[in-house]
Amino acid sequence: MSKLTILAVVVASLGLPAVAAAAEVEVMFKFYCAQCHGLGGKGDGPNVSPDFPVSPRNFTSAEEMNKLTDADLKNVILDGGPSVSKSPMMPPWGKTLSEAEVDALIRHIRVLCACKGKQG
Amino acid sequence: MKPGIALSIAAALLLATAASARADAAAGAAAFKAGQCTACHYTEGPAREVTIEDQLAKTGPELWYAGSKFQRPWLEAWLQDPKPIRPLKYNSLTEDNPGDHPVLAAADAASITDFLMSLVSDAVETGVIKPKKHPKGRLIFTKKMPCSGCHRFPTKKPFKGGRSGPSLVGAGERLNPDWIYAYLKSTKVFKPVRMMPVFVGLLSDKDMKFVAAYVASFK
Ligand code: HEC
Ligand code: HEC
Ligand code: HEC
Repeated sequence: MSKLTILAVVVASLGLPAVAAAAEVEVMFKFYCAQCHGLGGKGDGPNVSPDFPVSPRNFTSAEEMNKLTDADLKNVILDGGPSVSKSPMMPPWGKTLSEAEVDALIRHIRVLCACKGKQG
Repeated sequence: MKPGIALSIAAALLLATAASARADAAAGAAAFKAGQCTACHYTEGPAREVTIEDQLAKTGPELWYAGSKFQRPWLEAWLQDPKPIRPLKYNSLTEDNPGDHPVLAAADAASITDFLMSLVSDAVETGVIKPKKHPKGRLIFTKKMPCSGCHRFPTKKPFKGGRSGPSLVGAGERLNPDWIYAYLKSTKVFKPVRMMPVFVGLLSDKDMKFVAAYVASFK
């Protein structure tokens, strides 16, 4: 094993790749979600014109986002708006993203709202 | 004329036509290279994108299945008068499409169209989708699924559709109806990495055909 691989293994076991993962999640959020929710998550993506049928959730509002548990977020992201009696304009991503990717997106949303969400 | 001779003349004619189509496509391929089109478009399949970064690094859409995707008259005309298709700049969420695509003269447009129409994908079954304003297709496009959230479409309502996807206004003249269905069904073949959600498993095969036929009817 080269010194570099040993270093890589040590770094990996320290959990540093989580940092790289956070950057990856941001790329994912900007690619899939920002179209409607906006690059900063404010609900102001390029699809949202004044006549857009329903405003996409503003992820920076702790007040709004604290009404939802992480499980609520997971359901709506995987199965779309109608699965939780919300608008079909919120797409179902369950066939596009893996569960692990959705979990990472939820952590990213919690960073955007700086909130923990409803517990339980 | 003896039937044998008639047949061989027919066969020779056929061969000649095939050979000249190949020659036209070859001339078009050369014009495509000479016109620097390769700086922004790749024309050899299969799809190369593996990661989001791969997709974001591209400066223009892939054209390796252009012959299955487009309708020839639209393609030839668009190359001479390239009006914006995507409301936003390619791979941008913040800038509008600048509408600065290279413009071709008629002769180059014809020859490059020959080349692009020769690039076909065997993942597209022909003769499956007939354009139709079916109420079921409309229901899926405008109500059940978020298609209209990302795509401009022809409608008299104030909400004309979203802007992150290519405009589907005029899709009936631009896109091959069978390709629309194949695009929905065989996601991985055409766009392994895309901003549009995968609908396989969410829309039944029947519903996918209805919505493809509906999009194919857009004027
Ligand atoms: C086509 C536009 C669109 C895209 C793309 C989109 N959303 Fe949404 N989203 C919406 C709309 C509209 C709502 C509000 C629905 C409502 O209030 O009825 C929403 C609501 C939500 C909610 C809150 C649901 C609730 O119960 O209040 C979450 C969480 C969410 N979206 C996550 C995501 C994630 C994660 C992505 C990317 C993988 C994403 N969205 C992509 C349109 C979109
Ligand atoms: C600087 C990059 C660039 C160059 C050079 C370029 N294109 Fe494009 N091309 C684009 C972009 C970006 C689009 C998307 C335009 C739009 O949506 O309005 C596009 C769209 C197209 C389309 C339609 C594809 C689709 O999926 O909508 C065709 C066909 C095409 N170009 C052919 C050509 C040909 C032929 C040339 C050479 C004469 C060429 N392009 C040169 C960037 C480029
Ligand atoms: C979240 C936004 C979004 C939703 C929802 C969406 N699309 Fe798309 N669509 C796109 C984008 C962006 C593209 C361009 C390729 C890509 O990156 O996915 C596209 C490409 C397409 C194309 C090919 C157009 C071209 O010229 O290349 C068709 C056809 C299409 N979508 C139809 C649909 C239909 C039908 C639905 C609903 C069942 C739908 N889309 C839902 C964003 C979306």
